[in-house]
Amino acid sequence: MKALQILIDGFAISSLYATGAIGFTLIFGVSGVLNLSHGSIMVTAAVVAWLVAGSFGAGPYGGALIGVGASVIVSLVTYGIVVRPIQKSRAIAREEKEIFVLTGTLLWGIMVQEVIAYVFTNNPKTVLPLIGGVVNILGVRTPRTEIAIAAIAWLAMGLLWLLVNRTRGGKALMAAAINPRGLTLCGFELGSIHLLVWTIYGVLAGIAGVLLGSFLGVSSDNAGQLTASAFSIVVLGGLGSVTGSLVAAYVVGYLESLTAYLVNPSIRTVPVLLLLVIVVYLRPQGLLGRR
Amino acid sequence: MMSTPKTLLGTAAVIALMALLPFAGVGGYVLGLMTSALYFGVFAMGWDLLFGFAGEVNFGPSFLIGVGAYTAGLLNHYAHWPIIACVPVGALAAVVAGLLLAVPALRLSGPYFGLVTLVAVLLLQNVIVIFAGFTGGEIGLDLPDVLAISSRVNYWYALGVAGIVALGLFALSRSAVGLILQASGQDAIEAAALGFNVVRHKLAAFCISALVSGLAGAMLVFYLGTVSTDSVVDISIGVQVIIAAVLGGRRTILGGAVGAIFLIVAGELLRPVGQLSTFIVSAFALLVILFFPGGLLGRFIVREGA
Amino acid sequence: MTALLEVEGLTKRFGGLVAVKDVSFSVRSGEIVGLIGPNGSGKSTVMKLVMGIEKPNTGSVRIEGEEVAGWPTHRIARAGVGLVFQHSRPLHRQTVLENIMLALLPDSLLRLRAGREVVERARAIARRVGLANVLDRFPATLPFADLRRMELARAVARDPKVVLVDEPFAGLTAAEVADFSALIRTFREAGHAVLLVDHNVKGVAALVDRIFAMYLGERIAEGSAEEVMRDETVRRVYLGGEIAHASRPARATTDEAPLLEVSDVSVFYGKAQALENVSLRIRKGEFVSVVGLNGAGKTTLFNAISGLVPYQGSIAFAARRLAGRSAATIARQGLVQCPESRELFGDMTVRENLELGGQHQSPGSMAERRDWLYSLFPILREREGQAARTLSGGEQQMLAIARALMMRPQLLILDEPTLGLAPVILELLSRALETLRNTTDITVLLGEQNVTFALPHADRVYVLEHARIVWEGAPDRLAEEAGAGLL
Repeated sequence: MKALQILIDGFAISSLYATGAIGFTLIFGVSGVLNLSHGSIMVTAAVVAWLVAGSFGAGPYGGALIGVGASVIVSLVTYGIVVRPIQKSRAIAREEKEIFVLTGTLLWGIMVQEVIAYVFTNNPKTVLPLIGGVVNILGVRTPRTEIAIAAIAWLAMGLLWLLVNRTRGGKALMAAAINPRGLTLCGFELGSIHLLVWTIYGVLAGIAGVLLGSFLGVSSDNAGQLTASAFSIVVLGGLGSVTGSLVAAYVVGYLESLTAYLVNPSIRTVPVLLLLVIVVYLRPQGLLGRR
Repeated sequence: MMSTPKTLLGTAAVIALMALLPFAGVGGYVLGLMTSALYFGVFAMGWDLLFGFAGEVNFGPSFLIGVGAYTAGLLNHYAHWPIIACVPVGALAAVVAGLLLAVPALRLSGPYFGLVTLVAVLLLQNVIVIFAGFTGGEIGLDLPDVLAISSRVNYWYALGVAGIVALGLFALSRSAVGLILQASGQDAIEAAALGFNVVRHKLAAFCISALVSGLAGAMLVFYLGTVSTDSVVDISIGVQVIIAAVLGGRRTILGGAVGAIFLIVAGELLRPVGQLSTFIVSAFALLVILFFPGGLLGRFIVREGA
Repeated sequence: MTALLEVEGLTKRFGGLVAVKDVSFSVRSGEIVGLIGPNGSGKSTVMKLVMGIEKPNTGSVRIEGEEVAGWPTHRIARAGVGLVFQHSRPLHRQTVLENIMLALLPDSLLRLRAGREVVERARAIARRVGLANVLDRFPATLPFADLRRMELARAVARDPKVVLVDEPFAGLTAAEVADFSALIRTFREAGHAVLLVDHNVKGVAALVDRIFAMYLGERIAEGSAEEVMRDETVRRVYLGGEIAHASRPARATTDEAPLLEVSDVSVFYGKAQALENVSLRIRKGEFVSVVGLNGAGKTTLFNAISGLVPYQGSIAFAARRLAGRSAATIARQGLVQCPESRELFGDMTVRENLELGGQHQSPGSMAERRDWLYSLFPILREREGQAARTLSGGEQQMLAIARALMMRPQLLILDEPTLGLAPVILELLSRALETLRNTTDITVLLGEQNVTFALPHADRVYVLEHARIVWEGAPDRLAEEAGAGLL
């Protein structure tokens, strides 16, 4: 009974983690950026969805849609005013770009977070669930929205898979992650590829944010924690490896659920951190990463 | 661009002037702010030695700070050791913890070293919360002793520590060892081919960084009179340290102190705008990073062939 | 007398690739040995193995009889090995003098001050290498040759018994080459053992006592410069074997406007000049070869044409200037490069690689093109579903050419297609080029150091040497007029 509960809850939370982390790993793979404003972008999506669905009366679906839209906009702005200027800057030595992008996106994330806290306070906000009600799965009372969350997350990832594997733009995206110069020689503008990947990232982070908001509720204070967990998942799975992030998201999701149910909810992140240290020391390229 | 002796003299003069601040009619409240700022300045200078010179990005400066602070705090709270004993032991504990972290981590390259340091902070924070009965958890632990009651004396303590660290680290960064350290940070292979044990030099830099961070962390808790995760371990503390160092100017050592004072003073001046002050400070720091990547002190201290 | 540097049975594998295979040689005191081989031959890996930057899988490296294989780099350096890097990364915030002093410092955490004698020695060394007048300047303000002098000064400062020099003369002018040669001779006179690592025999012939030549990770020849230059294997590696080719119908090379016109193009990498006032014209349907040694500037020229590096001067394609257009636009307009480094998408299949090349056309046109390429390179059809990175070197080269051809180029730039390939593959490639030339109206610009591969197909040949075009003419006149400089 308890086992089944863990299985169901863990699945929902893991698929949510996976959606956010895959976006995170995708921009790392294609443009080499670890985006530390990730959490703030997720929070933006959730708060906008909450606002539009509730206060503006657009209903859960309208709210979700506009929330994801907001996330795409913030994501593109992040790229346009923080990441790209640093990458293009001549004043910053190449080997220092990484720390500048990290610091820059971090500061930008704090700015977004503070604006949200200022306008909407930092009280947790729960986005209207897409579906109400409860179903009984083999004796475990499960909110329907939990099933919807898993379904939507997987739908999003499935669409991403189709996009990457079945469309021209998607193929080019993967090619850019493998060999950007080769792609230029094939006549593709890397600039458009980067815009595409930041847009996709915005959609994925937005979906993850909105779903998280409807599942657990989100406050602007969560931004840092959300970035940290996406970062852990991505490192665990191997930087830049999409499949790795997917697997790692489930490892993290279940490890956290197990700890929370069986040991103590207050230390749910500890086993993950320990695992992370072990993996980084023993296999720094991550579970599925290639050197 | 300034020569080493001139910069050292100038710094000493600034420190002397700052020591006179309490006599210039500056009130206790402002002195309190400056005291915190000076301790943060020490953290930032320690971080810059590691990043700016040894080339290693430590995302978890608050791990070292926290170990120093909690070691000193716990010894004082439970064993009633005097402050004079707690502070050096705290600093040493930070060095030992730093070594345990760095010896395996320095084998890692690129973002992985930074990641390990980040995870170390999260783990430390969790350990403190898990053993809340002993450590005081999120609420924190009150300390029986404080450095001083007078805000003037507290300020002078902080200024003394920050001054010694500033002069010491700056001189070190311009010394022969500092030269080797920079070479190691810039191109480890070439430095090794010149016969330098790169790992040992980086480890030494890490230890010095840990020593000053742990020392200032321990002093800070005896100034605050309490030790809590929010004040010495939280990720946001580390973030502020890094922002202060980058804002002040990487590879300048002294920039860290300038950046820390700037951050705290700016935050204070922006009090009227309330919650938005963090936003404005972050925005300002972002603008500096984008448009003046050398930082506030970049122009004066960094020597870059034009 | 025992050798200062003795390498025996050295082997290094990277994954499945054997980069260095059972290599043995030695360098005695007062001897200069050249270690040569084309790109990918393993010579740089050997240098890194000696310095301890890479650890050998098996084999031994002895310095004055002491086994150092597997030691960390800094201990090998302390044991008496110095390396003059090709691309130095000086300390930018320190003066030239301080940069030299760095090399004189002991590996100690306790010596905080460099003593007077260190400063004096650094000054003396600077005088010896010709940097006396720039001691207080910052590296960023120095000309390229002085940066190399500084790199040399650091090696001298360590007073190593064994000196490794990576591409000693790359990017230097003739006068500077003479200077550097003189400096390197002083190492010999002082009794050091010197190992010069370079691409070609010619570059180091005047300086070396012996040469050790490598190809595909193995020794192929050893002896005096003359002996090695006469060696059959070396000649085959550098000049290619006899490649059969049918003579092709002469093209009408009328005086119509050139398809590609390069006028007075210069390129600088930092301070090093990689191209100097290069001009060339290619008419539609022509097959033009640019031959030159490694480092002569071929790749730079092609990258300038493709819009990948900034340049001075003008480049026009189909009578329109290319300046200001992105590399991707240039490629889409029909000026396609197949680079030396191939730049394949390693984790993608052969088919996916080809499709990425053909994405700017309709699916039908793409499929038709792909089928045509499969008939040109039948092996690619067999390998269709295989990841590009699992292909052999020759197959990868064919894929790279095929991917470029997928773009239906008007002008195809082929940069060093023969690099690191076995002779039997070269014949395959040669036949494919022949087919291409005889059955399509494509224009080709081929860059090669392998003259025998470059000549048979060419209508015209340019010779590039030290960043400049030094000869232009018909292929049959090349050997007598410009052949000497190419080994």
